[in-house]
Amino acid sequence: MSEPHRVVLVIDDEAQMRIFVRIALEAYGYQALEAPTAAEGIRQATTHMPDLILLDLGLPDADGGEVTRRIREWSNLPILIISAGGTEASKVRALDEGADDYITKPFGAAELMARIRVALRKAGPAREVPAEVVHVGNDIRIDLARHLVLVRGKEVHLAPIEYKILATLVRHTGRVATHQQLIENVWGPGQAQQVQTLRVYMTQLRHKLERQPARPKYLLTETGIGYRLRLEV
Amino acid sequence: MSVPSVRRERSGLSGAVARRALGYFSAVVTVTASTLLAWFVFGEWHLTDVVMVFLLGVVIVSMRFGYGPSLLVAVLSVVSFEFFFIPPLFSFEVADPRHIVTFAVMFFVALVISHLTKRVRDQADAVRLRERNTASLYAASREIGLAYSREALLAASARHAREMFHAGVAVLLPGANEKLQVVHADDDATLALGQEVAAAAEGMWRHQRITGGAVGASTSAPAAREPLLVPLRGSRGHVGVLAFLPTETWNILDADGRALLEAFAALVGSAIDRTMLADEARGATLRAETEQLRNALLSSVSHDLRTPLGVVTGVTSALLDRAPKDEETRRLLLTTAHEEALRLSQLVRNLLDMTRVDAGALSVRKELQPLEEVIGAALTRLENRLRDREVGTDIPEDLPLAPFDSILIEQVLINLLENAARYTPPGSAIDVVVRLHHGDVEVEVADRGPGVPRDDAERVFDKFYRAREREGGGVGLGLTICRGVVLAHGGRIWVEDRRGGGASFRFTLPLDEARDPDETVDFVAERGAS
Repeated sequence: MSEPHRVVLVIDDEAQMRIFVRIALEAYGYQALEAPTAAEGIRQATTHMPDLILLDLGLPDADGGEVTRRIREWSNLPILIISAGGTEASKVRALDEGADDYITKPFGAAELMARIRVALRKAGPAREVPAEVVHVGNDIRIDLARHLVLVRGKEVHLAPIEYKILATLVRHTGRVATHQQLIENVWGPGQAQQVQTLRVYMTQLRHKLERQPARPKYLLTETGIGYRLRLEV
Repeated sequence: MSVPSVRRERSGLSGAVARRALGYFSAVVTVTASTLLAWFVFGEWHLTDVVMVFLLGVVIVSMRFGYGPSLLVAVLSVVSFEFFFIPPLFSFEVADPRHIVTFAVMFFVALVISHLTKRVRDQADAVRLRERNTASLYAASREIGLAYSREALLAASARHAREMFHAGVAVLLPGANEKLQVVHADDDATLALGQEVAAAAEGMWRHQRITGGAVGASTSAPAAREPLLVPLRGSRGHVGVLAFLPTETWNILDADGRALLEAFAALVGSAIDRTMLADEARGATLRAETEQLRNALLSSVSHDLRTPLGVVTGVTSALLDRAPKDEETRRLLLTTAHEEALRLSQLVRNLLDMTRVDAGALSVRKELQPLEEVIGAALTRLENRLRDREVGTDIPEDLPLAPFDSILIEQVLINLLENAARYTPPGSAIDVVVRLHHGDVEVEVADRGPGVPRDDAERVFDKFYRAREREGGGVGLGLTICRGVVLAHGGRIWVEDRRGGGASFRFTLPLDEARDPDETVDFVAERGAS
């Protein structure tokens, strides 16, 4: 770990879950803070300023979307949602409120750590100056400065909307971008665009970038939630 | 003898008056005709023959018309006989006092004739009526007896009652809380069935329930325009109440009508009783099936959940108790526990999905979207599972957007793909093919495994059914969930043999839902431009 002892705040009402997450975190060199309720979690977030928050959606005293909204009022720190496989709506709500990603129970320690690393990368210095050229797998190169997309060395023409969608996904790299976030980014806030339209453009984008559009490797669908760009398989 | 009884006719009041007038008019005509006939044939000298002619007139009129006209014929005949044939002619004076006796005898004979004729006629009428009642009762019993559902039965009852009695009909049966409810009524009857009638029916129902039911009160001659309540009885006592609501021409006021009514009520009562018994039998079967299902679920769940739980508990306790010295054993134990826990998680998810599909509470949120995307999402989710497989996809380029719930259809695809991976040899190919078919879109998940035996083709979709019991796998809910979801979308799901070997699971999704033409146009235009 380049920066040892980064602090992760775990907000979960289940003691067993907190123990598991703490052990996993400490094994990977993080320092863990624990909070059993939303109120306690928000308090600790303000006093200890953690590097990342793991937030369970099923808290007894507040809904996860609400907690996210209150933290986002003053901080941009990464929030990773832990969901117990409830409805997609509650996940979408928290993500739209500004949570960075979600992970569904049950999950393994390795999976959790991978998500945490991606979320922390967003907050790290690398984020401030986005790479000029983004490599997606071995096949795709996206030149953000020149608005160029190369697939297996050949330039591919993208419609402006398609390019905007791709750029938004690049900004969310590794994390999920909800339908709403994509629509707002591409068509501008307050634009009442239908998810249906977004889906149609996504399909076109896949046909242009993916070798097997029906079995995508990079432009992944999170059914009921949004899309995710995967940089390497 | 074709003139029907006035009372039985559907015609209104004015018709009856007209017919009565016709009777009296015929009486006058008949007497005039008798007089003329007697005058020209026999003249004043054959008085006995003349009397016969007049008596013939009495017979004719009394045969065809009622008591009144025949009485009039009798009187007019005597008067005409006296006036035209008894000297002095054309006067009401009587020269010979013996003729007074002749008049009396003639009048008496005319009276007797009209009496007797009327009785014969009434009997014929009654026989005809009874025949007709029997016929209509027979027709009613046939139709009511054959009615396949309670609704059909009630509708048939109401229609026949209206035809037979010229009355509106409402059937009242006890509802959930033993309170009577109108379960069927023709429109007029519903309108006319006021609070009072309902209350009276309720009262009668309760009374019967308590006393075992004296019926007489209800069918004793009712006042002309009052609704009439008749209890319905089945094999096990009272089943409900039949309410007759009077119309202009209803006809259940006499003994025959009431007898017919009783017979009809008995018929309807036993038919309703029959449907109730059938319902109960069906309910009992259903309960038995539910019970069986619950047992199957319990045994299945206890086996399929306990096995992995047992492994996890055992392995972890072994590690707690005395951790093995060598790293390799420790890892093996932990890997086993981990795999079993994952399997447990999968089982629980399937069970939860099943309860959603099963309770009929499955809310389908259809949105127009490309099938390609949801297929891609399902394949991504199963990336690890299908890593060693060759997965082919064949989706038409011009496939229109289809209305479906992406989360649910993704689940269907995942279940079908997991099944294919589970029951086919490792490394064998799996194909996902989409095609348009008669306005539906058909999705096929085909494998190169051993296929599904024809006998199992239906049963594989049944709850807890597993084609090959021992080959690991789930609780036998995956395909049941698929069926529930596809049916909720208005589609079909089935399995057939694949040409060249293997199983081909297919499901359809109807396309014919309101489509947003703008979006389709957008899509095409954009593709064309790029």
